Amino acid sequence: MEKYFQSSWHVPFGEFSLKFDPLSFIFLVAVIILILCAGIYAVGYMRPYASKRPVGLHIFFYLVLSLALIVIVLANNVILFLGAWEIMSVSAFFLVVFKDEESDVRRAGFLYLIASHCGTFLLIIMFFLMASNSGSMNFDIISHAPFPPVLAGVIFLLAIFGFGVKAGFIPLHIWLPHAHPAAPSHVSAVLSGVMIKMGIYGICRVLWMIGVLPDWCGYLLLIIGVLCGVMGVLYALGQHELKRLLAYHSIENIGIVALGLGVGLLGESHRMPFLAVLGFGGALLHVFNHAIFKGLLFLAAGAVIQKTHTGEMDRMGGMAKVMPLVSILFLIGALAICGLPLFNGFISEFIIYFGLFQGIFHLPLQGTFVCALGIIALALMGTLALACFSKVYGTVFLGEPRVPKGSQLGERISLWMCIPMIVLAGFCLWIGLFPRTAAGIAFLGGAFLSHADLLELPMDNIFSPLTCMIGGVVLFLALVLILTYLRVLFLKALPASVSETWRCGFSYVTPRMQYTSSSFARLILDFFKRILFYKRTFPQVKGFFPQSASMSSSVSDFFEEFLFKPVFGKLTNLSRKLDISRIRYTQMYLMYIFLYLIILLVWKLK
Amino acid sequence: MLIFSHWIIVFLLAPLFVGVIAKVKAFFAGKKGPSLFQPFFDLQRLFQKDSVYSRTTTWVFRAVPIICLAAVLLLALLVPLGPFKAPLQFTGDIFLAASILGLARFFMIIAALDTGYSFEGMGASREAFFSCLCEMILFMNFITLSLAQHSISLSSMIGGNLPLSWKLWGTVLILVVGSFFILILAENARIPIDDPDTHLELTMIHEVKILDHSGVDLGFLLYASAIKLFVFAGILIPIILPIEPVNKVMDMLIFLGGMLAVSIAVGIVESTTARLRLNRVNHLLLIAFALGFFGFVVKMWKG
Repeated sequence: MEKYFQSSWHVPFGEFSLKFDPLSFIFLVAVIILILCAGIYAVGYMRPYASKRPVGLHIFFYLVLSLALIVIVLANNVILFLGAWEIMSVSAFFLVVFKDEESDVRRAGFLYLIASHCGTFLLIIMFFLMASNSGSMNFDIISHAPFPPVLAGVIFLLAIFGFGVKAGFIPLHIWLPHAHPAAPSHVSAVLSGVMIKMGIYGICRVLWMIGVLPDWCGYLLLIIGVLCGVMGVLYALGQHELKRLLAYHSIENIGIVALGLGVGLLGESHRMPFLAVLGFGGALLHVFNHAIFKGLLFLAAGAVIQKTHTGEMDRMGGMAKVMPLVSILFLIGALAICGLPLFNGFISEFIIYFGLFQGIFHLPLQGTFVCALGIIALALMGTLALACFSKVYGTVFLGEPRVPKGSQLGERISLWMCIPMIVLAGFCLWIGLFPRTAAGIAFLGGAFLSHADLLELPMDNIFSPLTCMIGGVVLFLALVLILTYLRVLFLKALPASVSETWRCGFSYVTPRMQYTSSSFARLILDFFKRILFYKRTFPQVKGFFPQSASMSSSVSDFFEEFLFKPVFGKLTNLSRKLDISRIRYTQMYLMYIFLYLIILLVWKLK
Repeated sequence: MLIFSHWIIVFLLAPLFVGVIAKVKAFFAGKKGPSLFQPFFDLQRLFQKDSVYSRTTTWVFRAVPIICLAAVLLLALLVPLGPFKAPLQFTGDIFLAASILGLARFFMIIAALDTGYSFEGMGASREAFFSCLCEMILFMNFITLSLAQHSISLSSMIGGNLPLSWKLWGTVLILVVGSFFILILAENARIPIDDPDTHLELTMIHEVKILDHSGVDLGFLLYASAIKLFVFAGILIPIILPIEPVNKVMDMLIFLGGMLAVSIAVGIVESTTARLRLNRVNHLLLIAFALGFFGFVVKMWKG
């Protein structure tokens, strides 16, 4: 199922060549669904800004970004790919800095732009290495040329670093938790749902072109996956700001995808096509699933923020009563992202688990150990994500409002905003209950990526457990229905009375005594405080009648605080010192250019 | 049919199991103790009472008892009970087991936060923390067992010829059993991790989460936790005792004997140890994880 579209394009080395194959299909579907849903949502979301800001310009860049994303997944030529990549990066920058009067937003935007270009720099080197190996800029021709092992390793590393910046691999992720919350919610959904996936797409495309890699590459990706997954979710737990938390969660999910890709690579390098298809297929399905549920979560979070005018979770509470529909949609997204049954996250995590267990059985000793590490890490990520999202749901939607009730009445949530969320939630449920189609397509992509033939593989080994699994889930639903009926029977004669929560005899209770997002996460963060640099500050209470007290807790991103800030600080100092060499006359610069040209000419004459 | 026989067994025996533990504890305290059937009477009493709901709560709070009970009933179907094979077994059913428990836990935590008071929040926060460690222990043991039996179906991981291989992998299995026993205590809120008997204590985990439930809802929750304990013990027994599908009566006797032994062991642990301080609980859980990990290492080393 490969289709081509060619058109003339007068760019040196470039050709307007688009190619449609199973790999691009999966990413394309994710891009189109999310772009449409977020776009429709934006109609409702941007309404309050309509008269105050240049919304037209914003929509323009949104459409440019959409087009760039579509071209990226279809591009079959290096120049076209890189061009679309740059357009995507730059248009995303303009989308992020929508509220450009806030200095935080500007800073986040520039951080993103710089990080993105650092990545692109590596990508250019990588693509030129590939092109020089095969003598063509066309992806198809590049993929047919054999790669020497050393070159393949170098290209793989460049891809991991270059695309890793976009995907948000730790430690290259530092732009991500700044940029995603700064943007309007529908843009965050697109950035987190599909734009960072372009990094994964790029890695997949490179893997497809290189073919078989040595097995250290698989181990490297697995380790990256474990690191991203565990650190991502731990950082997420430490956040108090809703969208920032969701942004960190994207890093976790990228980690899960990397785990899947690592398994796939190991399968490929050890000549186990079934393992390779399981790993790649699980990773691709998770890419799609994450686009759906993370989009849903960001859109729902946007609705909440529009209502409360704040992103601070500790100033929310009881939103389920104010916005019941949004609360149910958010719950669906939360259950899906935790990989719990009924929803789509469960399916892709199951496939990746399954692949890791296959790896344990069939790989050599070091493979067994790394796969076991992957399983344990995946289990830990699952429960930490569960802790994280029960915290979010509990503090934002349940309990009592932590601020006076009147302040939660922002704009009404319009139908434009609800329908896209319902559609996305529908996708979550559809894949969760009828996974066969989506998993089949993902395996097709996996087989394409590992150059295997799907028909020769025992795919029934994964499809039949999947069917049984869904049987179990349906049985669970039936049980829930039966038990609900039983409960109704029991309660029929007995009227349920409504009262206050039992406060254990304590009479003066305020909503501010509830567990907040910070206090909920404290135990876990305390346990990991050595790696999270978790700090709690509270001044000593003085006197018999203390008047006011305050407590704050924070988690600092190790890689940002201790790696990038010092290094870039040094670089800034260095460039200040180099300032002396700058000459303040334009004429001088022109002369330099002229001299340089003469030198080039002389060199050429010789 | 098999499904219903399974459910009948867990419905009848699970509260009895709790009753035995209470009896053992009473024996150690030098008391006569309540009847073995006291848990049944408690449940009957709760099912006849009406419920009180807080104004703060939403539908989540009311749905949780149902979800928890449904989850453990599904879990029960994945575990062989004596001569009765697990009605639901397939490659990879351990993920269904783990994730259905996760689903119940998620709802349990948000229901606790739903009440909008700090006591329940405390329980929720602790549950979230300790479950992270428990899940790691669970999967560590699953990995070792799956390597030993070359399968990722719960029924074949813990059944079959595993007890016969004690001679070969005695060390591995002892480590796994030790680790799993601690896991049973932790997952089911028993001493030394949690105290099921005290209410209104600032140090508890499980009981404080269900503080606001009453009547039928509380009955469902208590039934669910009894069944969960029973099923977890049911996973442990086939690892230790050989149950071969030859003689059904014999199998049933072995199974019941094993269950009795586990309940007595739990009772003895509860009577002879004190509840750990909250900040020490994670040490115990880490010990359990280390046991599981060493089991894995020994298994790898012996090949």
